Amino acid sequence: MNEWVVFSFAAILIIGGLLVSLIAAFGLFKFRFALNRMHAAAMCDTLAILLVLLGLIVIDGASILSLKLGLIIVLLWCASPVSSHLLANMEVIVSSKLKDNCEVPEQEEGGASES
Amino acid sequence: MSRVRSDYEKSFRARFRRYISGEEELKDVDYMPLFEKQIADERAEDEKATEHYLVPPIKDPQEDARLYAEYSGIKWFRRLYQVMAVVLCVAICGVLIYNIAFMPGFGSADSPMNNGVSERYLEKGEEETGVTNIVTGLIISYRGFDTFGETHVLFIATIAVMILLKLRKDEKPVVAEGEEEGGDIILTTIARVLVPMIFLFGFYVLVNGHLSPGGGFSGGAVMGAGLILYSASFGFTKTAKFFNEKIYDIIKVGSLLLYSMLIGYNLFTGANGIASVVPLGRAGEILSAGLILPINILVGLEVACTMYAFYALFRKGAI
Repeated sequence: MNEWVVFSFAAILIIGGLLVSLIAAFGLFKFRFALNRMHAAAMCDTLAILLVLLGLIVIDGASILSLKLGLIIVLLWCASPVSSHLLANMEVIVSSKLKDNCEVPEQEEGGASES
Repeated sequence: MSRVRSDYEKSFRARFRRYISGEEELKDVDYMPLFEKQIADERAEDEKATEHYLVPPIKDPQEDARLYAEYSGIKWFRRLYQVMAVVLCVAICGVLIYNIAFMPGFGSADSPMNNGVSERYLEKGEEETGVTNIVTGLIISYRGFDTFGETHVLFIATIAVMILLKLRKDEKPVVAEGEEEGGDIILTTIARVLVPMIFLFGFYVLVNGHLSPGGGFSGGAVMGAGLILYSASFGFTKTAKFFNEKIYDIIKVGSLLLYSMLIGYNLFTGANGIASVVPLGRAGEILSAGLILPINILVGLEVACTMYAFYALFRKGAI
């Protein structure tokens, strides 16, 4: 009985992660503007991976493998938002028709980065 | 031929077909002015380019019938293609997912891969090479000559890239404005935390190669990625303080020469049945397995240098 509860909980988590990554892949191909696409792709990098790895942690229970998986989650949550941020920054600097696609605050001249 | 409904163009099926084949634009035009003109231009260009292929009206009934047969075949093929693409994709996915259930467990003894030769390796490997991770024992010891060649391939590849991309001494590397000081604040903050961890992990994978999964190539790749991250976030001037061309040359050539010497000694003693000077030690300890540990470290240094050299040469034309 207990095993089934753990298994179904893990299965729900993993299937949720797969669904999120499916939606992300769909959005990645259907959106036209780079920043919108990036928003879809970032979901796959963070939420989907978090759900799938949490499901694996639930299956494995408290062990050294779970600890390693947790460290993978921490690493990915550090790394992939930063890379998304850099890509978005590049897009904002390079894109010539940014104002046609999204709202740009007035004070930032040409949408340059804040730093 | 089936009857075509008068409102066929507006029906769900037609819209869906156009959507699948990518003909239908998004309805909200204001949303994508950036692409609209471009797409229209490409359309016009395409139509202009395919004008020659349009078939002129034909009077001859025989010719007409032949063309009809040909073109209706193509039409049917296109329909079939759309259906079959989906069906094949789903079928292959299904077969692969179904077969995962029958894969033998990780490392189980009775899986079909573990027979004959690999059984011999599994039985005698720990005793002969002193490693607990048989894969490293295979790569460095049993198939040492192959790995030796691979490392030379890395070395030669770097030299080839250098011949193509390295700048002459009187040329200045082209670096964008502000690139030397490093990237933005978010990147540097994260890199300050991550780079030491990446280096530590890479070194752990290197040194632990004969005890757990890992080894020279994977550990070296991790360390090379750490170097690339450091130079991307803090700039090349800061990287050059601890990793410039002189140090690179010493590490790259020195590790390859040392590796050649060690593997030569290993092959010589192994082929002639002479006992090696280096003791195998007790399996499972860090200082064991004879020459495999130093060879792993040397291979890792080679791989790390190769990765960083590729990055630096492609980015600014010098190391």
